[in-house]
Parts: sequence; C-alpha cells; structure tokens
Amino acid sequence: MLDENKTSGETLVVEDHNQIFSQPVFVETFKNKAAFECGEGAEAVAKQLDYSKSAEYKEKNFARSALTINPAKACQPLGAILVASGFKGCLPYVHGSQGCVSYFRSHFNRHFKEPFSAVSDSMTEDAAVFGGNKNMAEGLKNALALYKPEMIAVSTTCMAEVIGDDLNAFIGNAKKDGAIPTEFPVPYAHTPSFVGSHVTGYDQMMRGFMFYFTKDNAKAAKDNGKINLIPGFDPFTVANIPAMKDMLSQMGVEYTVLGDNSEILNTPMDGHYQMYAGGTTIAEVTDAKNAKATFTLLPDSTSKVTASCVKDDWEQEFVELTPMGISGTDQFLMKVSEITGKEIPDSLAKERGQALDAMADSNYYLHGKRFSIFGDPSYVEALVDFYMELGAEPLHIVVSNSTKKWGRALQKKLDASEFGKQAQVHHGADLWHLRSLMFEEKPDFLVGSTYGKQLALDVGVPLVRIGFPIFDRHHLHRYSTFGYKGVINLLTWTVNTLLDDLDRKATFNNDFVR
Amino acid sequence: MNANKNLTKAEAQDLISEVLAAYPAEAKADREKHLYVKEAGEESTGSCVTANRKSLPGVMTIRGCAYAGSKGVVFGPIKDMVHISHGPVGCGQYSWGTRRNYAMGTPGIDNFVVMQVTSDFQERDIVFGGDKKLEQILIEIKEMFPLAKGISIQSECPVGLIGDDIEAVSKKMSAELGMPIVPVRCEGFRGVSQSLGHHLANDAVRDWVLGKTDPEFEPTDYDVAIIGDYNIGGDAWASRILLEEIGLRVVSQWSGDASIAEVTHSHRAKLNLIHCYRSMNYICRYMEEKYQIPWMEYNFFGPTKIEKSLTEIASKFDQSIQDKAAQVIAKYKPWMDQVNARFRPRLEGKRVMLYVGGLRPRHVIGAYEDLGMEILGTGYEFGHNDDYQRTMDHLKNTTLIYDDVTSFELEAFVKKINPDLVGSGIKEKYTLQKMGFPFRQLHSWDYSGPYHGYHGYPIFARDMDMAINAPVFGKVKAPWKS
Amino acid sequence: MAKTRQCAIYGKGGIGKSTTTQNLVAGLAELGNKVMIIGCDPKADSTRLILHAKAQNTVMQLAAEAGSVEDLELEDVMLTGYRGIKCTEAGGPEPGVGCAGRGVITAINFLEEEGAYTPDLDFVFYDVLGDVVCGGFAMPIRENKAQEIYIVVSGEMMAMYAANNIAKGIVKYAKSGAVRLAGLICNSRNTDREDELIIALAERLGTQMIHFVPRDNVVQRAEIRRMTVIEYDPAHKQAEEYRTLARKIVANEKKVVPTPITMEELEELLMEFGIMEVEDESIIGKTAVQEA
Repeated sequence: MLDENKTSGETLVVEDHNQIFSQPVFVETFKNKAAFECGEGAEAVAKQLDYSKSAEYKEKNFARSALTINPAKACQPLGAILVASGFKGCLPYVHGSQGCVSYFRSHFNRHFKEPFSAVSDSMTEDAAVFGGNKNMAEGLKNALALYKPEMIAVSTTCMAEVIGDDLNAFIGNAKKDGAIPTEFPVPYAHTPSFVGSHVTGYDQMMRGFMFYFTKDNAKAAKDNGKINLIPGFDPFTVANIPAMKDMLSQMGVEYTVLGDNSEILNTPMDGHYQMYAGGTTIAEVTDAKNAKATFTLLPDSTSKVTASCVKDDWEQEFVELTPMGISGTDQFLMKVSEITGKEIPDSLAKERGQALDAMADSNYYLHGKRFSIFGDPSYVEALVDFYMELGAEPLHIVVSNSTKKWGRALQKKLDASEFGKQAQVHHGADLWHLRSLMFEEKPDFLVGSTYGKQLALDVGVPLVRIGFPIFDRHHLHRYSTFGYKGVINLLTWTVNTLLDDLDRKATFNNDFVR
Repeated sequence: MNANKNLTKAEAQDLISEVLAAYPAEAKADREKHLYVKEAGEESTGSCVTANRKSLPGVMTIRGCAYAGSKGVVFGPIKDMVHISHGPVGCGQYSWGTRRNYAMGTPGIDNFVVMQVTSDFQERDIVFGGDKKLEQILIEIKEMFPLAKGISIQSECPVGLIGDDIEAVSKKMSAELGMPIVPVRCEGFRGVSQSLGHHLANDAVRDWVLGKTDPEFEPTDYDVAIIGDYNIGGDAWASRILLEEIGLRVVSQWSGDASIAEVTHSHRAKLNLIHCYRSMNYICRYMEEKYQIPWMEYNFFGPTKIEKSLTEIASKFDQSIQDKAAQVIAKYKPWMDQVNARFRPRLEGKRVMLYVGGLRPRHVIGAYEDLGMEILGTGYEFGHNDDYQRTMDHLKNTTLIYDDVTSFELEAFVKKINPDLVGSGIKEKYTLQKMGFPFRQLHSWDYSGPYHGYHGYPIFARDMDMAINAPVFGKVKAPWKS
Repeated sequence: MAKTRQCAIYGKGGIGKSTTTQNLVAGLAELGNKVMIIGCDPKADSTRLILHAKAQNTVMQLAAEAGSVEDLELEDVMLTGYRGIKCTEAGGPEPGVGCAGRGVITAINFLEEEGAYTPDLDFVFYDVLGDVVCGGFAMPIRENKAQEIYIVVSGEMMAMYAANNIAKGIVKYAKSGAVRLAGLICNSRNTDREDELIIALAERLGTQMIHFVPRDNVVQRAEIRRMTVIEYDPAHKQAEEYRTLARKIVANEKKVVPTPITMEELEELLMEFGIMEVEDESIIGKTAVQEA
C-alpha cells in the first residue's frame, strides 16, 4: 500500500489487517524484533513441531495427570444464567466476584451476537472474609430498582462457594431486611465452578426454578394435558425451540418449554432495546408439575437434580431424547405420540421424507468419511448418531465434561454398531489430547466449536462448526439442529464444508457439478 | 429522540439527576461521585470524578477482575511463556483467544498465546489444596512444551481463599525445571476491577522477571522499549516500524507479541515509551527509580497525535533522530491527507460517545478529531484519578464524564445525547445497535485493526465510516411506521 | 411416617462431641430409631465407635482417589454399623492447607444427590468440627438440613465462650430459616457447680440444659475398644445416662432462636460462679518491676 514513492494522486486502498503485515517494511521489523526475542530458532521449532506429532509425544500427552490444555468445557454459572435468561422478566444474578459475570456476558455476546444481561453483587476482599450477606441485600435492592425484573435468579461463583455462602439464608435475610419485597420471586441454585461444567450449572439452575415455583403446590389430581420440554444448554436454542414448537403444533400437542430463551436471544433491531423478551412464565413453570411428562432434549443438561425433581418430586415420566438426525427425531415424535395419544401427521412424514431426500443426495460425499468430534456429551452423542446415519465413521470422540459412566456406555454402543467400530471415546480429555489422536490417525473432518479452529489448521482438516461457542462464523446459531429440518441444516453445513475442502485440494478437476 | 444538538452543562446535569433518580438512596449517593459534566472551555480542574472504587452490587458494571487484568492484559500476550489459569476451568475458557493480541510463532510449539492452559480445579483440589497438583502441572508443561521459556501462574479466586502457597511452589519448581516461574496473586475478588490485576502483574514482573539476566546485545544510545502496547490487531507492529524508521532500536516490546527475553532485558533500554499508561505505569516508575530509565507517554492514534508523539520522542535524542522524525512525518503526510480527504467529508461533525478501558477514553480522541468528529461523552471502566486528570485537556466540547458506568446509565445517556457513534465493548455493542446506534468495539477493534500508527489510521477511518454511514442504521424504523 | 429429624451437634474442639454423639446415637438406635451420622470434621472420628473401625474412608479422600465426586457411588462412602446406624465421614485436608469447610459442603451435597437421606430415617446427626469458622461449617444448618442444634459444653470458660459463639451463628441462619437451638448438652469435666453454671448459661441463651452427662472412665474404656458404652457395657450406669439423653431428645419440643450474650455478660457469669477471677484494675499494664 505504501511504497516510498507514494503520491497523493493514487487511489487510496485501505488494506485488510490480514494483508498489511506482509508488506516488506513489516517483514523487516519482524526480523529486527526476532533478534531480541532469544527464540530457539527455526530449526528447533520445526523439530519440536515434528516431535509433537509423534507417537512418543502422544504417549506423554496421554500420561498427563494434572495439566489441562485446551479443554472444551466452561463452568457452572454460565449454564445457570442461560437457564435464567429463558424465564419471563428474569434477571440473572450471580453472587460472587464481578469479573465472572463480565466473562459470561461477553461469552454469550460473542456466540449469539446478542446482548446478554446479568448482574453480579461484586464481592471483594472484605466479603471473602465476612461473607456476602451484605452484598446480596444491596445487590438485590439495586438490581430490582434499576432493571425492574419480574424475578431474579441467583447463582454463585466459586468464590462464594469456597467461603460457603448460603443463598437461601442470604436471600431470606435480604427479604427480612426489606431489601426486596417478601413475595418477590428469587429462585436460586448453588453453582460451584469446580464441580462439573456449564451443563451441570444448567441442571442446577433448572431444578432451582422447577423446585422454587412448585415446592408448595400439591400435584393436581388430573394432568394438564401438556408435555414439558427442557431445551438444555443448546447453542442453537434460538432456532431449535421454535423448531420443536412447530413440530408439536403440527401434532396438536400442547407443551410448555421450561427456560425458553429463543426470544431474548433473537430480539429485533428496531430502535428499542428489550432487556426482557419472551420466556417461560411463572404460571407455566408452576403448572409444569401437572404435565403428562417432561422431555429433556439434551440429557447432559438435566442429568442429576433436574431428573430427580421430575421423577421424584413431580412424579412424572422423564424422557431423555435428543431429537437430532432421522432416528433421533423419529423416536422423539413416536414417544410424544405414545404419551399424548396424538398421531404424527403426514406433514411431519413429509418433512422426514424431504430430509431423507437431501441425505440421499449428499450421501456419496459422506459415506465412509471418518471424522473426529468434540463437544458436550449429549450433542456429541446425537451428532455421532446422525453422521452414522450418513455412513460416516466416528474416529475420535473427545468430551471434556462427561463422567466415566457416560464414556463407557457410548464406547459400548459404538463397538456394537456398524459404522462406529473404529471409534475411540475419550471422556474427560481435552483438545490437546485430540491433537495427538488426529496426528496419529488423520480424519477427513473435524466437528466442533470454534475451539477446534487451531487444531483443524494444525492437522490440516476442515472444521464443521457445530457446538459451543461459535465465535468466528456468523448466524449459524440462527439455524436449527433439531427435527427433520435440522437434519437439512446439519447436512448442508457438513457436505458443503467437505465440498469446499475438495475444491481447495482439486488440481485439475474443478467440477462445476458435484 | 432529540435532534443532534449538544447538551449544555445544565442540561447534562439534569440528565444525570434524571437517570440517578431510579437508584436507591445509598446507591445514588455513590454514583453521583462518578459522574461529571465538563463544560466547553472549562479550565482543567484535575480529576473531577471519584474513580477506582468498588462497583455497587447489582448494578451491572461492565468491569472485569484482577485476573482479567493480569492474565488477560499483561501476561497473556507474552508468547513464549505458558500461562496457567490456576483454579477452576471457567476463567481461562472465557479469556481464551478473545483479545486479539497477535503474536508471531508456531502455536503450541514456541507461541502459547492462543492456548488455554488450566489446572481445572475440582472439588478435591479446593478441599485438599492445589499446591501438589500445581507442581505436577509445571512438570507436565515442561514435558509438553519444552521450548517454553517460562511459566506464569495466574491465580483465580479459590487459590487465595484456600491459602495455597504458589510462591513456594514457584521457587522450588523454577530451580528444578530451570526456567522462570512467575506466581501472580490476581484472584478475581482482589481490588475493584482489572486495574489491580495490572498492578499485581507489574509487581510480579518486577519481582520475578525484570533484570534477572542481562542481554547479549551491544547497547546503543538509541535503545528504547515499547511498553503497554498489546498488539491488538497488530498495533504494536504498526508502532514499532515508526520508531525504527526514525532511527531508534526497539529492544523490548511488551507485552503484545513479547518474548520473556524482551521483558527480562527491558532494564537495558535508554527510554521507556509507554502507550497504555494505566496498565504499565507501575513498572516504568520502578525502572526509573532502580535503573534511572526515563519514561514518557505517547499516543499513536491519528496523524496529529502521531506527529506530536514522534516529535517528542525524537526530542529525547540527538539531531539525527529529530531530522529523521521530521522526514518520516513528512513522508506519511500525503497519505494521511489522502485518508482525510476521503473520509473526513463523510465524518465531519459526527458526534461520538466513548466508554472504554485503559488509555482509549482519552487517547483515541485525537484520531476522531483528525476526522472532524467530536466527543460528547467519555469514561473509563477502571481508570484512576490520574487518568481523569490526563483526560481533561483532551475535551473540547461540553462532555459527559462517567466512571464505571452501569448499563442502566449508559443506555440512558446514549439515548438522550443521541450520538452518531458509540465506541465501547462487546457487552454494550448489541444493546446499542438494537437501539439504532452505529457502534465500534474499541477493545478488540471489532476484529479489525491495527489502529495505531500511520498504517492504523486509514483502517480506523474506514471502520468509523463503515459504522456511521452503514445503510442498515438508516433502516431501523420500518417505513410504514410513523 | 414422621419426618426425619435432622440434628447438628456443635461444640468446642476436644469437648467430647464425637463421643457424646455416638453414644447418644447408639441410645437412639437402641430405642428403635433409624439413624444416620454424618461426620463433618476433617479428622474423621465421628463414626469409629459405631463401626469399630480406626477411621472410615471419607467422601473427600475417596473422591480425590476417584478423580471427582461424580465418580463415587453411595455405597463407597456410607457404611452401616451398630444397630443399623448409617455412617458417613465428610473428611478433609490436613491442617493448614485447602478448605475443610468446602469438604463438608461437598459431602452433604453428594449424599443428597445420591439419595442417602431416605425417608425411613428417624434421625440424621451431623457431628461438626469445633466452631462455625467459615460458611462451610454452617452447611449442616442450611435450609432443609439440620433444624435442631445441640451444643456440647462443659463448665470451662473456653467451652462456654464457643457455645455462645455458636449461638451467634445460629441466629444468622434462624433469621430466615427454620434452624433452632434445641439445647446444651453438658459433658461434665467435674468443675465446681458445673450443672448450675450450664443451666444458668442455657437460660441466658434462651435454651435449656437438656442433660448433664457425668464424667465416667467407662467411656474411655469403651473407646479403647472402639465401642460406645451402650454397646460395650449396656448395664453400666453411664449407658443409662446416654439413654436418658436420647429419650430427652426424642421428647424435646423446646427449640428456640437463641439470645447470645455479650463477652461482658459471659465474663460476669463466669465470675459469678468463680470460674474467672474478678479483675483487679490496679494491676493492668504493670510490669514486674513496677509492681515490686
């Protein structure tokens, strides 16, 4: 852009920041700088890079017992505030250090490209010593005055958990002291970051809402004719919740979505910022206790306390099914039909046929392709099932936030399957483990979140972005992954990523038709 | 919304009162001290707001924590060190790869900036303490990343609460592994914002890194250090070339694209050039005292400030440097004029509100003015009194000043003042865009940049134009709605 | 079926909390009650007299070995001892490291999630470390956990000081919750007028001395055999004392929000009973030389 003889007569070209640094003047400065960096030199770097791909390195990598490198999981309160965002007029509130909340908010901002409201009660060193009772009272009072929520949902950071603050007592004290009205709803959940992951926090907070609004009500003698849906920690919630509603409406099934954040995470640009939009009402969650059954769409997000609340306190059937892929959606619809007595209409059979039709069209680019995948347990499991429906073969399955039990069960299932025999399930592993696995045996593609970007580049395979978070591509989160229509989205992303890869690698056969 | 008329001091004060009326009495009394209206032509009154105080509970502060200041800002960009997010998994995860500190090198081999290395504390680590695990982690880092030149331990909240002795572990393992291991006590509950994290990180550099070894290079009279440039989108590189062009030798650059060697050897510079005063003034003051290295602040945003800064920097050296500085300024001038010719007509008179951290609430003002734009409001996320003092002279119009602004206040202020552009962060971006305001992120440069130096300015100008003159913001109201 | 009564036993370290709790629980079991003990003290000695074991494997110790708490099974950490008493120890770190309070929270959460609190239980007893030093040690008195607190105390100054402090802790939680102070258990150290003193303290705190447990060497003899007195020598008169305590607790209706007293009031009480000398203001701050 700028050479020595530049004159103002030339057309001004503003170069992209990706290009600008390849100009000679920058190449020169990088060389100057290297002299002061005391680096190891290109040769040593190349040697170590090679070594990092070796079997010996892999062995050392898998021998790690304490160090975690590039994990694919976040912490509990993130899941908790995602739940809270799905209730009408609810302000997520995190009791503990303030920095956490800034991180949670920006994390969701970057994925959903949407605002995300949450407050913290800014506990500092004095609160660490004396406890956060005072912060709770002040925080609830200020939040209510400024943001006028209909309810405030409280979760905790690890700081409050280590010092052992008791939410129930503190919220009760805040009410007794008149900080907020006694009748103002404040569901809550303890969400220590050093236990489980973001899906655990989802589980805790979802149960927090369910328990808080139904604990004092006896179950009605007759069910309300509806089914409950729990969306789970779903990066595609904006599109998946409407997709589920659409399918159930086609069946004529009445439903309650518990934690419906599809509106708040998809508000229009119309000159007015809506801090609250949509969401499950208190009346709905209260009545959810009387539903026929509760369906959890991502069982990892509801595996412990939510499950036991539905089964033991609500005494309902708890159906753990992810409606992804053809079979996943089939099973979901059939189970809904079984429980509600409603038939699956032809309109859904048609959607099914359309999805299957698309799969048949793309089948030949996917059958026999081997893939590595990472993400949350339920998403990964459902995606693996979907890809196997296309004849693709899972090679490496890495999940950072699963239990041993889950890992063993999935391995067993895959060992017994037609396309999953080669699969290695690595629960509790991280993406640095996956790097070694992928260098050992290179897959055709990688499925996961933006966190897999560097890995895919290193290994030289395309990344199909399905997971959380997706920071580096726009609007994928606006598309559904659930239901038959979701099949078409998953398929489109995958096959076109593979076709782009094919075109990039093509030397003579730039086929116009694929 | 009102027309594009700037508020008078009285009107702005009314606005403050109106907005604060929503607060409970105690909170209101606190927030009042953080807000001020600086009138056009008003003599500088020093710091006019209370700054660097605790945020109120429940108000939705935009601030982060000490860990963010240390790991996210100061240490994270040092590329050949492995930075352990020591504690539960979240902090490291949320700060993984989001700050855009560009660094040369091979990821995972001799460049660890884009990695998330954590001790992933589990319940047992909280209950039994994390020191033994930390020792093992350090051993494993050495094994996984043999070319790493050092390790930093970035403490998360629990570490300080359970009383782990990370300093003892660092000393012991540093000797055992033969590399610098730097413990930083930047637990998130310490202090009131990122700012304490900067300070703690500066102190850790002072105590564990700076001057521990001497460089092999032959000193010259022209050796300078760039301090407090984080190389967002390549900012430090765009700055570095200018210093080199005027004949100086940059022996140390931190912490954007920094190596630990540069940080260690910084005490051999003849002059410390500090861009982000807020985050790095501590270490500059220390080097001044201990090594008698003078330091000066500079500003490489926009041609006016660049010219002033280059001239000032050159004035610390001999005539040859001063001559070259004049030549460099002259060389770039036609290009800068061309940028202004293209963008100034599109941006002239446009009104801007800022709310950022570090140096930007004052440093970018000159660049906006180069484009003919005016600043109507500014504030710091984590500024101190000395930041506000340094800001006063930059403010030409009647300007609303807001320290540690809450989301509630910022929305209300923006709505009333009705600027043509808001420059702030990711948490504010989508809210304000939905309200119909053109917006640029001034932390990450909205994934663009560099904005520093002569190479940054055209990009800065283009980006502001892209926001302000984006057709989408003209279509916010549906045509059938009155 | 009646609701499970959850009780927490607090008291100064070394006062005999664990011994008293286990003997009391043995008495309750003898009366036909189903009981669970949860040891909330890192030194993990709350169940050994029931299990005849040196030390039970603790939740935290096993979790550390397994990797995480999620990988544990209930049967790994819950053992059954004398007369079907269920026993669990939370466990925790060596002194000076980590966070023992968090261990208590973890263990109780684990037991809740794994369904250890079965509805057939008549009593759950938490045996909690010395004083409420941090939030973690208040875990047993959070909502839906222990609602009755007993404080083990003796006629010694520090024991009474600790009892008063514990009462202060209870007040905080009683404000919004159902937790109440249910009585002081005097575990005698044979100090002068001990019973009267503890009755007086109980009155000031708004509660009762629910029972006076006399000192007897048979307790130590039984302990050497890792047994409760009730099991070791059921006919001994000391066994009857524990049975009486058990019966009184079964019948106990007096549960109050305590009224902790100031340090001055406590000192006055101690002076009244001659435990503490009346201060001689004239000697304060005087060195030996000055006094000579």
